[in-house]
Amino acid sequence: MTAENPATTSNNPIRSWLKDIFLDWDRTQMVICFLLVLFLALTPLFISSTYYLGIIILATIYAFIGISWNIVAGFTGQLLIAHIIFLAIGAYTTIVLFNTYSISPWVGILIAGVVSGLCGVVVAFITLRYGLKVDYFALFTIALMVALRTLFLKWDYVGGAVGMWFSLTDPSFDKMIFANKAPYLYIALSLVVIGLLVQYRIYRSKMGKYFLAIREDDDAASALGVNTSRYKMLAVVIGAAMAGIGGGFYMMYVTFIEPPQVFNLGLNIEIVMAGPIIGGLGSLAGPIVGALLNKPFAEIMRGALAEGRSGNSLIVYGSFLILTIMFMPRGVTGVLHTIYRRILNRLNPRNLGDS
Amino acid sequence: MSPEIFFQIIVNGLFTGGIYSLVAVGLTLIYGVMIIVNFAHGEFLMLGIYVAFWAWTLADMDPYIVIPFAFAMIFGLGALVQRGLVQRVLDAHPLNQIILLVGVSILLIGLVQFFFSAEPKAIHVPYETAVISAFGLRFAIARLVAFFASMAISFCLYLFLHYTRTGKAIRAVSQSRDAARLMGINVNFIYYLTFGIGAAITAVAGVLLAPNHRMIPTMGQGYSVIAFVVVVLGTMGNFIGAFLGGLIIGVVEAFAGFYLGGDVKIIASMMIFILILLFRPAGLFGRKRT
Repeated sequence: MTAENPATTSNNPIRSWLKDIFLDWDRTQMVICFLLVLFLALTPLFISSTYYLGIIILATIYAFIGISWNIVAGFTGQLLIAHIIFLAIGAYTTIVLFNTYSISPWVGILIAGVVSGLCGVVVAFITLRYGLKVDYFALFTIALMVALRTLFLKWDYVGGAVGMWFSLTDPSFDKMIFANKAPYLYIALSLVVIGLLVQYRIYRSKMGKYFLAIREDDDAASALGVNTSRYKMLAVVIGAAMAGIGGGFYMMYVTFIEPPQVFNLGLNIEIVMAGPIIGGLGSLAGPIVGALLNKPFAEIMRGALAEGRSGNSLIVYGSFLILTIMFMPRGVTGVLHTIYRRILNRLNPRNLGDS
Repeated sequence: MSPEIFFQIIVNGLFTGGIYSLVAVGLTLIYGVMIIVNFAHGEFLMLGIYVAFWAWTLADMDPYIVIPFAFAMIFGLGALVQRGLVQRVLDAHPLNQIILLVGVSILLIGLVQFFFSAEPKAIHVPYETAVISAFGLRFAIARLVAFFASMAISFCLYLFLHYTRTGKAIRAVSQSRDAARLMGINVNFIYYLTFGIGAAITAVAGVLLAPNHRMIPTMGQGYSVIAFVVVVLGTMGNFIGAFLGGLIIGVVEAFAGFYLGGDVKIIASMMIFILILLFRPAGLFGRKRT
């Protein structure tokens, strides 16, 4: 942090490059994100326990799903509470393609993204066509989730109440089955990197500004000539497609899926909502910071309080959500932002302007 | 379909619908006064039924004796949730309110699961499966009592809201928070009271279910969703609408259950919900939203 002291203006290219990055909060957040990704990428070197590695892989998947939700709920402020619908659809698409049509998960996951994206189009079209706002939108998505759960329970093509799974045969790259956990981690991390870049591109683009305008004031944005329906739909579709891809990979990692497990508000909170909210909804680093905090912490608590009792992780997630909303509504990233501004301020008060 | 079966389905639907009405009245009361959707609503029903279970295992108390205690306990809890948590996000972004209440809901489920385990539990009372036959129809006693108790409680609450000073104050706050405050009403107190009452009558609905209903910690979520359906059907914040909506949904579910089978009946409510949200978001008793 000392190298970017703006008081010493020089033509040193490295110094000006660092200033470019660290004087901009968005870029600083991206640096934080990539440091976290780097840290995760190195974990297999010093963690050999498959249990802990498993937690890290799940946290990484959660980070990616969290990014997808952050684009919808964080950027455009749409209360797509039951985002897990799209994850479930992606997971089911992948496993049906894999089991029934022997299509490699590598392709299947991409198709899952397309299918989920199309479902996103349908959901967005219905809700926008009838102008459902705020609470009603949230209720609609929950109702949809409950209806889909019952539908999937009765639908034999996707396994009905029995669920779907695949047997872990010999490790095979084509089938995305690996002998140890590290490859799963690297696939998940690649997804997170792509997710972070997509999120950043959107955030910095004109479209991203429209998204934020819609979040702040829907009607005002519309009055200023933003085609709000179009951008709301775009956000839902992007988020849904990413969640579908994430869901496909989640399926390949957990190997088993059944309707009550995925069309479930509890899992929805664990996978989709807790990360971005704790990390800071609407911020760039929020989803990954939050996912890396909440999943491991919930696991530790589960271990610490176990004694054969269940419900610990629910208590942890519930308290996390409540405490975050009560004491740091902008999440961990919000706190980091305050610290960041203080540091900048100490270095040079004039730089406070735009960050 | 013979007339006996037809009327039997209607009776069964009304019995279920009575409970739905009570739960929905609680939800609509909270929404009407504070304009927040209580995403933790079903959990208060779940707490009610577990209070009954607790009293039964601890002191072999009959669920019907537990009603006043459950009412008092959950009233206190509801007022506390309002005072400690919801009060502070009343003016925040709706997303924050919803996340907070989802957090409360998850926490309550977690706590109940922690203390009572996730295994299904049931209370056993002598009249568990007792049935009265009349007019060629069969009435399960526990459900009959639950139905009439729900009706009575809703009716008392209606009288309370319309004919007491406190009740009128609650309605005044729901019409205009600021005007009520200017008239000298302690708005915050009304908020605690409203959330407490809304939670407590929902808990009573849970106790009424206790004699012949299995319980699991996550059962509240289903009732939350049903209550949303009912409240949207009967117009958000409308007392009579929620009451009638509950009965309507109960009967619709009973017919759907008869024709489509028990599990699929929820699809019928969901379809009604989705259709209403799409075509008449103001509900049956509301004016068109602008």
